[in-house]
Amino acid sequence: MKLLFLIFENIRRNLIRTTLTGLGTMMMVLVVTLVFTVLSALDRATTEKQTNLKAIVTEKWQIPSMMPYSYAKALSDGGANPDDPDAARPEDSMSWGFFVGSTEENPAKRSFENLFFAFIMEPEKARTMLDEVDMLSDEEAAPLLAAIQKMKDVPNGVIVGQERLEKMKKRVGDRITVFGRNYRDMDLELEIVGTFPKEPARYADSSVISRDYFNRQLDAYQRTHNNKPHPMAEKTLGLVWLRLKNRKAFNKVSEQILTSPSFTSPSVKIETSSTGIGGFLEAWRDVIWGMRTLMAPACMLVLSLVISNAISISVRERQMEFAVMKVLGFRPGQIEMIVLAEALIIGVSFGFLSAAMTYGVVNGYMGGLPFRIAFFPKFSVPTDALWWGPAMGALTALAGSYGPARSARHVKVSDVFARVT
Amino acid sequence: MPNPVCVDVRDVHKSFKRGIETVDVLNGLNLQVQENEFVSLMGPSGSGKTTLLNLIAGLDRPTSGEVIVQGERVSSMTETQLAAWRTRSVGFVFQFYNLLSVLTAYRNVELPLLLLPLSAAERKKQVMTALDIVGLSDRVNHRPGQLSGGQQQRVGIARAIVTDPALLVADEPTGALDAKSADDILDLLGELRKSLKKTIIIVTHDPRAAARADREIHLDKGQLVDAR
Repeated sequence: MKLLFLIFENIRRNLIRTTLTGLGTMMMVLVVTLVFTVLSALDRATTEKQTNLKAIVTEKWQIPSMMPYSYAKALSDGGANPDDPDAARPEDSMSWGFFVGSTEENPAKRSFENLFFAFIMEPEKARTMLDEVDMLSDEEAAPLLAAIQKMKDVPNGVIVGQERLEKMKKRVGDRITVFGRNYRDMDLELEIVGTFPKEPARYADSSVISRDYFNRQLDAYQRTHNNKPHPMAEKTLGLVWLRLKNRKAFNKVSEQILTSPSFTSPSVKIETSSTGIGGFLEAWRDVIWGMRTLMAPACMLVLSLVISNAISISVRERQMEFAVMKVLGFRPGQIEMIVLAEALIIGVSFGFLSAAMTYGVVNGYMGGLPFRIAFFPKFSVPTDALWWGPAMGALTALAGSYGPARSARHVKVSDVFARVT
Repeated sequence: MPNPVCVDVRDVHKSFKRGIETVDVLNGLNLQVQENEFVSLMGPSGSGKTTLLNLIAGLDRPTSGEVIVQGERVSSMTETQLAAWRTRSVGFVFQFYNLLSVLTAYRNVELPLLLLPLSAAERKKQVMTALDIVGLSDRVNHRPGQLSGGQQQRVGIARAIVTDPALLVADEPTGALDAKSADDILDLLGELRKSLKKTIIIVTHDPRAAARADREIHLDKGQLVDAR
């Protein structure tokens, strides 16, 4: 501790070099933090849980899954025989259909900006079953709960992600017409009743419309088309989410669903949500592999080299000083520690600064990292990043300064003052 | 009755490798320096003066022979033992002062004390005493770049005596100074020897500096050739 002032004076010795090294550290920590942000979110989503797990039921042989809505009720019960009180039943469930459309009627003018994507679902399930929304406190979810409540009075209500709302240049209370793309000739007149919370950012671009309202629209379509149902009418159920107590419950419900004669045309499959999401992410496998095994280590390596270069120059410049310190009685290990500590302080402080700024800017200002993978449109920098940054800085600083520190340790006094007189 | 021996150099050989060639710098050198004695080492370049000084100060080890300082066998100490011994027992004054440019005079002088188990108050007392002795108590917060050559050498001397070592070694302590500053430094070294009872060994090319010593020792080709 007594040597701290010496370490800080050495860091201050060449402020330009220290600042440049620090900026290099910040840039690399920024990139690695962003990479880790994406990877950690994907890892969390694909990590198998043992308890309170979610399962996804989808069509077995077709992607995208398009099951008849008649499956919804029985699947939501976990395929349980209604007469069997001992059958395993999910703790909660949610069915999803997908409506893709545009707020622009003219197909030639349709773009990402006027794209509309909505989950067709029971609105109240948005609070209890949507990933990460179900983890929000009542206070955090209060605006969403109010919007869900309002949908009971406004059947054609829609809850819209905040970013999508901005892109559409609409506000809560506005009415929009959405022209169906996957449901051709189905145009929905919707009233915006509320928004998703800012966090989790993954729903920033999505919307929720009521399953009851949508089914009524399908009926209306049939009435206005010579009693002919919509071509997609029997394919409106995309997937069913089930919340299960534990693995045992999952296995039991799996058995019930897979052996049930009710789900044979089309056949269905059931998997844990982590497996399902993992399967969904297969298309991005190479990108994720590259981020994990090439990009992040490459950044760490470059950062180590940046620090190594700066500390090497500094050590070379201070050979005489280290020799003098040895003359005064400093032990080689103490000199090595001083050099390592200088690098460590630079790495940790600039690493933390970078992570904190990334956290603040990405989460506070940008509303999440816009890096679209599968159904993850945005990623929030986790609070853990506040220790990733300094940890990365520390790790790379130690790796980068190890060589120069060893060199400082082995400065030979008689060589530095080598003048045989 | 003569003072006890402070430095005892016994049959010391020192050779260096230069490529495939071995250069013998010291050849069976013997030297004794009494406590509180002021000795100057002179000789032509390459005669081994600085090498001898480094061996006495525990900065290098002899190829053979023994160096004993105040009864401690310096030549057989480990690196760690030597480091601790240097802090405690020897002060080194350099030709070019070699102060740490980022530190104030106070911090430079304090540096060796950081290696000893002293409180901040004790360190401050010793630093101020040392700076007072060299006449720089009004320059404590000046950095080396803000001091003249003579003042820097005084700070160097304060740093050398701050741990109160019995032995002071100086390699060309006046070599980078003008005549006036050089005289002042030599006066100071004389005063240290007189009032603080230090044993002082200096390497010098300057006959005037050498003449201030009790004893002038001349080296040539790694051997003592003459003494006054």
